[in-house]
Amino acid sequence: MSTTTADARPTRKSTGTNVLVGVLVVIALLWTLVPLVWMLAGSFKNSSDVTASSPVWFFEPTLDNYTSLFSGPNNLTPYLWHSLVAAGCAAIFSLVLGTLAGYGLANSTMRNKHHLSFWIISTRMAPIAAVILPLFLMFRLAGLIDTLPGLILAYMTFNLPFAIWLMSAFFSDIPPSIEESALVAGCSRWQAFWHVVLPLSKAGLVTTGVLCLVFAWNDYAFATVFAGPSSQTLPIAASQLVTQTGIDWGQLTAIGTIVVLPMILAGLAVRRWLVTGLTLGAVTGE
Amino acid sequence: MTTATNRRVTAPTQPPGPEKQKKKRLTFTGGLMAPGVAVLALLSILPFIALVVMSFSTVQLLGGVRLSWAGLDNWSRALADPDMWSSWLKTIIFLGATLGLEMVLGIGLALLLHRVTRGRGLLLSLILLPMFVAPVIVGLLGRYLTDSTFGLYAWLLNQMGWEGDILGGTTSAFVAVVLMDVWEWTPLVALITLAGLSSVNPSTMEAASLDGAGYWRSLQHIVFPSISGILLVALLIRAMDAVRYYDIIFVTTNGGPADATKIIPIRLFENAFRFFDLGYAATIGLMMLVLTILIAQGFVRVLARKD
Amino acid sequence: MLNRRELLRTGLLGAGALAAPGLLAACSNETTARMPALKAGEDPWRRFAGTTINFISENTAPTAAIAANLKPFTELTGINVRIVNLELSALVQRVALDMASGDSQYQVVYADPYQVLAPYSAGLADLREFIGAEDFPPLEGGLEDFIPTQMDAAGRFAEEGPVFALPYDCPTMIWQYRIDLFDKYGDAMADELGFDPTPGSDRTWDEYLQIARWFNDNADEVSYGTGHQAKQHDSLMCDFSNILWSYGGDYFAAGEQIGLLGLRDPGKCTLNSAEGVEAAEFYSSLMAAAHPASRTWDWDGVGAALRASEIAMCPNWHEFAASNEQALPGKVGYAPLPKGPARSAHMYGGTGIAISDNAQGAQRGAAWLFVNWATSPETQLSNLRSSAGGGTPTRTSVYELPQVRAAEQRPSDLPNMLTAEAVRTAWEPDNVGLRPKIPMWNACDTAIFTELSKMIAGQSPQETMDNATERFDQIVERGWVA
Repeated sequence: MSTTTADARPTRKSTGTNVLVGVLVVIALLWTLVPLVWMLAGSFKNSSDVTASSPVWFFEPTLDNYTSLFSGPNNLTPYLWHSLVAAGCAAIFSLVLGTLAGYGLANSTMRNKHHLSFWIISTRMAPIAAVILPLFLMFRLAGLIDTLPGLILAYMTFNLPFAIWLMSAFFSDIPPSIEESALVAGCSRWQAFWHVVLPLSKAGLVTTGVLCLVFAWNDYAFATVFAGPSSQTLPIAASQLVTQTGIDWGQLTAIGTIVVLPMILAGLAVRRWLVTGLTLGAVTGE
Repeated sequence: MTTATNRRVTAPTQPPGPEKQKKKRLTFTGGLMAPGVAVLALLSILPFIALVVMSFSTVQLLGGVRLSWAGLDNWSRALADPDMWSSWLKTIIFLGATLGLEMVLGIGLALLLHRVTRGRGLLLSLILLPMFVAPVIVGLLGRYLTDSTFGLYAWLLNQMGWEGDILGGTTSAFVAVVLMDVWEWTPLVALITLAGLSSVNPSTMEAASLDGAGYWRSLQHIVFPSISGILLVALLIRAMDAVRYYDIIFVTTNGGPADATKIIPIRLFENAFRFFDLGYAATIGLMMLVLTILIAQGFVRVLARKD
Repeated sequence: MLNRRELLRTGLLGAGALAAPGLLAACSNETTARMPALKAGEDPWRRFAGTTINFISENTAPTAAIAANLKPFTELTGINVRIVNLELSALVQRVALDMASGDSQYQVVYADPYQVLAPYSAGLADLREFIGAEDFPPLEGGLEDFIPTQMDAAGRFAEEGPVFALPYDCPTMIWQYRIDLFDKYGDAMADELGFDPTPGSDRTWDEYLQIARWFNDNADEVSYGTGHQAKQHDSLMCDFSNILWSYGGDYFAAGEQIGLLGLRDPGKCTLNSAEGVEAAEFYSSLMAAAHPASRTWDWDGVGAALRASEIAMCPNWHEFAASNEQALPGKVGYAPLPKGPARSAHMYGGTGIAISDNAQGAQRGAAWLFVNWATSPETQLSNLRSSAGGGTPTRTSVYELPQVRAAEQRPSDLPNMLTAEAVRTAWEPDNVGLRPKIPMWNACDTAIFTELSKMIAGQSPQETMDNATERFDQIVERGWVA
């Protein structure tokens, strides 16, 4: 590492380090992208290419896998729709309730507030297979099984605590001086929250919202239990391809691509916010 | 990063005297918290109580759920069963391996990305992709890649001389599922760490290298201490989920071969919904909950000390 | 303190909420919805027109075929059927929860004999209420048309009277092999090994192993002679059972009774008898000579391996014939499995479809119409022809149709029928292999395939069988609480 140059900026690198960084970046990219690219490729292969014993690099692409997914009796469209609505609403509701509760938690002067805070995050640690039976009975009592509202509520069991906890962490990092000056200027506490603090936390809101969306969209365990014929979601569709007589890898890679794509697009669209959101305190900088 | 422990906004115009907060029962902050906490309480307290009750009973399903008292039977069985202990051991090893690798690789990746100046945005976008893939899909994709007949990675390993079946050997299957988990979640750790790195004051770094500190030295003494809070947050976020998720193993090896990958969540699902031994499953569930709470408490304590 | 008060209050609520489901379940059973009566002159098939029912199934061949073409049923009856496919463990979970809730979200249930029928027969309707009833369309051919072993194994539990399900699919394990390779090397093998290697139940398992080893050493077209579904999975138990039975061993003493009708309490486990250990030892040596990836294959994996020319032969479910024919047209042959010292045994994996006993009123009747139609001769014939699925019929009358008989030889337009001769032999009472139908089978299944997986990883056969026996006895002793 060159230390003899007068320029002390840590970003000046020697060519040796540059090459090393480049090599490592390439390795990281390969490790990350090869499975995804291979899945994408597989979705365009016909059934003998997709399971050939030596990898087929060049092949005649076909749209069969995709067309068969969207036609016929097991059409993916309702699954897609259910996933969108359920995950989207769960993310929105969790975000709204979580933001309010998170702000309240961050500013609360309760004694033993850390107990409440810990309880909130501990609800997210509940072992899924164990709590499914009591939850199922509760939901059936309320007539929520096989309904989209029921599914949304089920997703909120893990998204809400996450949202509360994450948002309270963001709010904790905003210096009190900002709110205090708003109050001095004559705002009510609600106005201080709505007009001053909230705009400052846009990055945090986006991060939390996107992560909640992703967790709900990708859920499989709750969906198998709380969804039914009228509310099945995409991950269930993927598992349905594991049939008694074999796995249709062509269709499976196609479904995989379809399940993955919207989340990737959502994540990429907000990636700038994701990084700054998690900077947690661009305001400080000290 | 601070947890919600010492935050206070005081309205400055109040005269000193009785605490402003002694209004009605519902303060402003209480009112904000009420809806969220109420929903959460509804969704979590009842199932928790049910879990505890079930762990002391035998559960019958047909014709409506019926519980009959079974005392400590489930608990003594769970504690005496050597299979359970071996599963716990495998779970701890699995947790240690996945969390450890994810942290190390995630931090390394973040450091790497931090040094890249051109095209960092694009690079970041690409590196983040795996964390958006559903765990079920990761498992199935992993199966597709490691299948001995048509798997790409199996073929690559064969070319390099390794004769074997990835999911067939006990060690290789364990390594494989660990790596699948690491593939999916390292980007999350990298993202959080990178955010933390971005907030490290560059002037401090400049001062350090002016003083002659090398790269690694400044890492050790300046960077890590200032982002340690963030690192712990990343670790906590991952740890919470690492114990609960079993999608990947479920879909690839389902606990095998020879029980090598049979971690506790898989046993839990098995006892609940293959053997319909729900009382026993509730016991396992409670033990899992205790473990995660202990882990989380450990983190929170360390985090609190940081402040 | 805020938290504790909150906790107490919700605790009481919680206790109440726990009691409520039980109360509610009792309530809902008393108010039975009425079934609409058959009007004079009305077509019994159209009695429940306008009803919607749900069918939960594993993604199996007949379901795929029916789902691809539900129109005939909807036109016939005016009933709307929604089909939900789940993989087997998710299906078992949903069915159990459904029955626990005292409700029936799924009126028609794919009743796997070992994972659904045995544990939950009390939750399924006795179909005799519909068969022969005058206000329902008749069951064509009657119960006798179903192949007798299948009717008992898939349709009944523990008693000869009640019928809980009608046989729906019938995958059975048989010997699948590459005709072209056996043609090419047959004479050489006969010379070197000293017996005619033609696959069939004239061969012994020992000869099978010798053939496999010969392929390992001498053939280039395939990597290994034999492959097996030896993943730590239900498939491993299936593969091993063929050999266990052929050596005269069995899971429990009352083997035959347990396999066919089933028992609630099976008695002591007999896995570590002399025959059982001998079978385990043979299986160990068979695995040593088999394609090593067998440890990663369930039935799907070994089927793919055969189609990819990784192996020359394998024991596998006969319903893979259609995909074999697609990948290797004309090259795959089918025969009964080899025999051991006792007999030649073929694992049966068929399942029936049943009606949830919680179904009420119009939905209950509609469910029966669907069950009736889905197992009828016409539907089974059109399933054979369907491009979306396949499978083979469970009714004798369908097998005797001229076009079906004709399809048993190549060129065949119903490729799954190429296996007909082999499976016909397989279903004879002496040759069929029926695993124990006991309520606690899932736990026993897991125990045996875990131990076998350890055996393949190096554990001794004696210890494997001893451990398995011990676990079986523990599981059976705990009894079954539904």
